[in-house]
Amino acid sequence: MYQTHSKREFAIEFQPQIQILRPSIHSRRANLLVKFQDLYGFTVEGNVDDVNILNEVREKVRQQGRVWWALEASKGANWYLQPQVSSLTEGIALKSSLKLSNLANAITLKRLIRKGIPPVLRPKVWFSLSGAAKKKSTVPESYYNDLSKAVEGKVTAATKQIDHDLPRTFPGHPWLDTPEGHAALRRVLVGYSFRDSDVGYCQGLNYVAALLLLVMKTEEDAFWMLAVLLENVLVSDCYTNNLSGCHVEQRVFQDFLAKKCPRIAAHLEELEFDVSLVATEWFLCLFSKSLPSETTLRVWDVLFYEGAKVLFHVALAIFKMKEEELLLTHHVGDVINILHKTTHHLFDPDELLTVAFDKIGSMTTNTISKQRKKQEPAVMAELDQRLRRLNSIKMDDEK
Amino acid sequence: MARTGNKNIQAKLVLLGDMGTGKTSMVLRFTKGQFFDFQESTIGAAFFTQVLSLNEATIKFDIWDTAGQERYHSLAPMYYRGAAAAVVVYDITSMDSFERAKKWVIELQRQGNPNLIMFLVGNKVDLEEKRKVGNEEAEQYAKENGLVFLETSAKTAQNVNELFYEIAKRLTKKVPSRPTGMKLHRRPQETGRRRQLPRFPQLFVRMLVYQIELHCGPSDLKIKAALNEK
Repeated sequence: MYQTHSKREFAIEFQPQIQILRPSIHSRRANLLVKFQDLYGFTVEGNVDDVNILNEVREKVRQQGRVWWALEASKGANWYLQPQVSSLTEGIALKSSLKLSNLANAITLKRLIRKGIPPVLRPKVWFSLSGAAKKKSTVPESYYNDLSKAVEGKVTAATKQIDHDLPRTFPGHPWLDTPEGHAALRRVLVGYSFRDSDVGYCQGLNYVAALLLLVMKTEEDAFWMLAVLLENVLVSDCYTNNLSGCHVEQRVFQDFLAKKCPRIAAHLEELEFDVSLVATEWFLCLFSKSLPSETTLRVWDVLFYEGAKVLFHVALAIFKMKEEELLLTHHVGDVINILHKTTHHLFDPDELLTVAFDKIGSMTTNTISKQRKKQEPAVMAELDQRLRRLNSIKMDDEK
Repeated sequence: MARTGNKNIQAKLVLLGDMGTGKTSMVLRFTKGQFFDFQESTIGAAFFTQVLSLNEATIKFDIWDTAGQERYHSLAPMYYRGAAAAVVVYDITSMDSFERAKKWVIELQRQGNPNLIMFLVGNKVDLEEKRKVGNEEAEQYAKENGLVFLETSAKTAQNVNELFYEIAKRLTKKVPSRPTGMKLHRRPQETGRRRQLPRFPQLFVRMLVYQIELHCGPSDLKIKAALNEK
C-alpha cells in the first residue's frame, strides 16, 4: 500500500530542488522555472518565489503540528471528538449537559482546523470529524471487502468509464499512475458506483477519490470518505444524471458573488461571463484539479468539518483576491486566464483561507439552503425543458 | 463589397463529442504542438486561445473544449451558444462514439445558431487496425447533413492543423449576416435590417468561387469537403 511521506522522506525529496536553485538565486530569480515534487508527489512547476513560499508553508505545517501535539498531550488523544459527540447525539437530552469545556473545545477546534490539520493527523481527524467513522460503524465490519469481492469482474457502463479514466487521473503521479494505484482507485470508484447506482460514476470523482487515497492511505477509509462526502457533506445530486445539484450550486454561487463582490459580478455580467465556466470544475473536483495539493487539502480540512459552504467561501475568495485585475478585463478569455493562473499558483493556503473566512464575511449553512431552495425550481425547469427538446428530436428521428 | 484585406476575426469555437475521443488532445496539438498518451479528463470545459493568420484575415480562436461524459451534456448549451463553429469529434475505433456524435449534430442543428459552421471529425486514425467506423460511412453521413468531414490523428498530428485552417478559411469566407460568435473588427458594424435580396447573389458567387478554388487550387490544403466531393 502506498505510504504517505514520513518527515525524513520529505526532507530528502526537497533536496534536489535546493541544489538546482542555489546557483541561480542571485541571477534571474523570477524567470527561472523549476519542476519538483510536492508533499503528495505531484509535479509542480514554479519559480524561486513559489519555492520559497512552499518552504514557508512547510515550516508552518511543522509549527501547526506542534500545536496539535501539545493539545493531545494536555487534553488526550481524541480531544477533538468531544464537540462532535454532543452535536451528533443532539436531541437525546444531551444538550443540557453540553459542558463549557466542550464548547471551548469546539471553538478551539474550528480555529485550529482553519489553520490546517497536520498531514500525519489528517486520516484520523478527517475520518472522525466528517462522519465517515460513524457511517462505517452502521454496517458490518466486512462491508467494503464484501462489496469489492461482489463487484469484481462485473462490467457496467460505469466500470467502462472508470477504466477509461484511470490512466487519465493525475497522469505521471509516482503512485497513482502505477498498476497498484490504478487498481486501488478502480476498486474505490467501482465499489461506490455499485453502492449508489444513481451516481454510478461521474467524471471528476476520479480526482477526488485519488486525492482521498493519497491522504487516507487505505482504500477502505478513502471509500468511506467518498461516501460521506457524496451522501452527507455535499448537496445531493451534484454528480447524478444531469448534475442538477451542481447546476443549483452554480446559481447560488452566482448570487453570492453578486452580494459579496458586487463590482466583479457587475463587470462579469457585462462581459457575459457565466461563473460556471470556471466554477463547475471547482465544485465537482473540490478544487483538486485547480489548486496545489496542500492548498486543496487545507480546503478539504475545513470542508469536512464545516460543510459545503466552504466551497462558496473559497470560490468567492479566488475572485476577491483578483478583484482589481478582473475589473480591467475586456474579454471572457482574460478572466479565465487570470483565474487559472491564480489558482495554480496558490501555494500558500493561508493566503487563500484568510480571504475566504475573514474577508468574505459569514455565510450560514441556513442561508445557503434557502438560496438552494430558491434556485432549484428554475434549474429543474431548465433541465426539463432541454430534456423535452432532446426527446422531441429523438421522436422526429424515429418517424 | 469585395474581400477586405486584413480582417481581424474573433471566433468562438466549441468541441463536442463522447468522452475519450481526443477533444483535448486535438486542441493541445493545435495550440501547443503537444500530445500525451494519457490526457487528463476534462471536467466542465477547458478554454484555449490561438491565433491563425491567413492571407485574407487573422483569426483569433476562442476554443471551448467540453467534457465528454453524457451527464455533462446539460452544461453544453453554455458552450455552444453563440459559437461560430462547432467540431463534433468521434473516435474511429468506437461505433458508440460515432452514434453520440450524430446526436450532437442533431442537437446543434436544432438549437445552435443557423449560421454555425459544423465539422465532423473522426479522430485516432493512427489506430487504423482497430477501426470500427468506416471512412465512407462517416463521409456519407456528413454529406447528408451538410457537415465538413475530416479524419485526424492528434497523436501523429495528421490533419489537425488542416482542420483549424479549414475552419478559419470558412469563417473568413462566410458572409457575416449577423456577428454571432464572430466579432469583426476594422469593419463598420452593419446596422438596420438585413438586406436579404442583394446579398443572396453575392453569397452564391462566393460559394462558387470557393468551390472552384477547392477543386482546382490554388489551395494549400488537401481537404475532403463533404459538399463538393462526388
